[in-house]
Amino acid sequence: MGKRLTASIIFLLGMIVMFWLEGRRPDPVELLPSISGEPEYCLTCHQDLPEISPSHPVDIFGCVVCHGGEGLALDPDLAHSTMRGEKNPSDLLVVEASCGGSTCHSGSPTEDRDHIQRVTTSIQSTYAGAIASVRYSFGAQNDLIAHMGINAVQDNNSATDISFLTAFNPTQETQSSLLSFAENCLYCHISAEPLPGEDYARLTGCAACHSPLSPDGETTHTLTTAISYTQCNTCHNRGNYSLRDMQYHPREDQYSGRLHEYYQPIAQFVRCEYTLDCIDCHTRSEVMGDGDIHNNQDEIQYVQCRTCHGTKTELPRSYTIQNENDPAFRFALLNPVIDLSVGDTILITEHDEPLWNTRMLADGTYELFGKATRQRFVFQPVAGTNCGQNPDEQESHYCHQCHAVER
Amino acid sequence: MPRPSFVHHLHPAKIPRKQARFTYTFGTGGLAVFLSIILGISGILEMFYYIPSPDRAALSVQTITYLVPLGGFIRNLHFWSGQLLLIITGLHFLRVIFTGAYTSPRRLNYLIGAGLFILALLLDFSGYVLRWDVDIQWALITGTNLLKTIPVIGDSLFKFVVGEALPGSITLIRFYAWHTYGLVAFAAIFLIWHIFRVRRDGGIASSKSPANRKPDRISRFDLVDREILAMLYGGAILIVVAALLPSPIGPPLTGISPNLGQEQAPWFFIWIQELLRFGDPFLFGVLIPLILLGLLTAIPYIFPKLDPREIGSWFPTSGRFAQGVVVVIIMIILIFTIRAL
Repeated sequence: MGKRLTASIIFLLGMIVMFWLEGRRPDPVELLPSISGEPEYCLTCHQDLPEISPSHPVDIFGCVVCHGGEGLALDPDLAHSTMRGEKNPSDLLVVEASCGGSTCHSGSPTEDRDHIQRVTTSIQSTYAGAIASVRYSFGAQNDLIAHMGINAVQDNNSATDISFLTAFNPTQETQSSLLSFAENCLYCHISAEPLPGEDYARLTGCAACHSPLSPDGETTHTLTTAISYTQCNTCHNRGNYSLRDMQYHPREDQYSGRLHEYYQPIAQFVRCEYTLDCIDCHTRSEVMGDGDIHNNQDEIQYVQCRTCHGTKTELPRSYTIQNENDPAFRFALLNPVIDLSVGDTILITEHDEPLWNTRMLADGTYELFGKATRQRFVFQPVAGTNCGQNPDEQESHYCHQCHAVER
Repeated sequence: MPRPSFVHHLHPAKIPRKQARFTYTFGTGGLAVFLSIILGISGILEMFYYIPSPDRAALSVQTITYLVPLGGFIRNLHFWSGQLLLIITGLHFLRVIFTGAYTSPRRLNYLIGAGLFILALLLDFSGYVLRWDVDIQWALITGTNLLKTIPVIGDSLFKFVVGEALPGSITLIRFYAWHTYGLVAFAAIFLIWHIFRVRRDGGIASSKSPANRKPDRISRFDLVDREILAMLYGGAILIVVAALLPSPIGPPLTGISPNLGQEQAPWFFIWIQELLRFGDPFLFGVLIPLILLGLLTAIPYIFPKLDPREIGSWFPTSGRFAQGVVVVIIMIILIFTIRAL
């Protein structure tokens, strides 16, 4: 009986150890997103994460539809093993699976809403202009036409002369300069990991712009269309690429404050070019592409001073919102910095993109709300002033001649 | 003396004390039966949640593991019992060889035991496949493709096991049916037959006592008491192992990929994985393993003679050849297993 008692106590101890270990396991926190109808338990560990954006409520989207992963697994290794793009499902390698679909961000019959196609064929992704320009400079191609991109892309409905780009492959280049270019100068397209350092810290893919990092460089669970100039500056205005030595040279000046952060010392700019954020002037199609493949940045960037200010002979283009289906409402809903109403007159670019954060006022001036700062600015058209600028010469450097501010 | 219960009646009224000595059998046969019972109970519990379809199988395993109360523990119990069963039956086999217990009149029971070991291997492999996660892909594809290499019957055998051109939903339901019913039914019949034959063949093998001396015996009550002790200790170890060591699990297999990636056989077939490196898949993946298995199975018929006085003692000198063959085969398996690790 003594032997059996000892064995029973040992068996009981085994049971106690088992129940103690079971008791230490976290209670699963279930989420039943309506979009998939499949339960997932990511919140068991990730309850502290804020909702990523008002457009992606967690009770509708859940986590798995965007991030992938094993929603039923409570072991971190297994749960995270099939995540797309690790912490960044918008990386261009996986973006179609994460963000795509005709009810989401790709496959829409209207080109301007087929966002993944727009972004992957955009200059920000293809880097086609830089590649063509450098290859032309070193004799690897005979023209400045874009033949290659960072990745091979195709556009079957191209409105330009380019329907595809092949992938730039440095190993097939014979010029050493092109190898240096590939090694030192390909950090700025949005599928590339950035250079090390907090000035360059950003994610890749959609998140390169839409998910700003925290001030200490940590990833944040955020998707926003209110993109500050600081996010653009993780690629732009940080330094220069030199064709002479095929190296990147970071800017060397010590700077602080918005004006100095914004542009490098050699740059000329007017006041609105640093008080506003980049996206207050530059439109979605300029930044994210228009769905077609272009040769270089100049082909896609078209907004000029006159887009908002007009010329001495013409007021800026504008239109009056006729109904609630107007696209301006959709944009304003995503980033509600302005309370638009049917009947408001707003500015529109020469490519018919509404500048939905502007509005014409009764006195003939205009107001603009900063998309990132939410600040209100009032400005007037050129027409009716004593500006002597030739209406055909509207590039910014002409305006800078009179209106540039001192650093 | 209390009245014997049903469980007592399953045992002989008395057995020689030396047959019941722990250091003689190490309780491997009894532990194998105990593990089989644990496997049956834990397997039935898993069946309440397991879904045998390619798109749900791995998810249902995740549900069992992480979400069902005590589900992870029950699954671990099932897994570790399955692995231990192979080890314990392997040791059981070695005990039989090294004590000369394989000779007549126990040759038939030796064959039944070999059948049980093969069934345990098949049950372990089919259970491994039921996970239907990415980690089972290599072994599933390689294992079933090896069937195709068998002359004449290969294609039919593949069709019988897989049921379609590439492993998919039909394959999974077949493995499920074999694992939960077909193989279990055979194993249950063989196990009962095996235990029956132990009694019919005169109990656990031992040399006969001198005619003038009655062997020292223990009663069925003592025997059951010892079994209970073994189950309590074995159960305690199993519970702690299952509570501490998670069984393998991977992301769902979402489609058979042409790129099988890293070779990844379950541990008990890893020596065949290593053999396959030598070339011809039929020769190294099927024929050689079958020859080795056949040799082991045929030991009582190849080496039928053993000095009756040595039966039941460790390493009988008259059984050296049989022991040598077994040691060589075991060494081959171990060496190739270690090479692959």
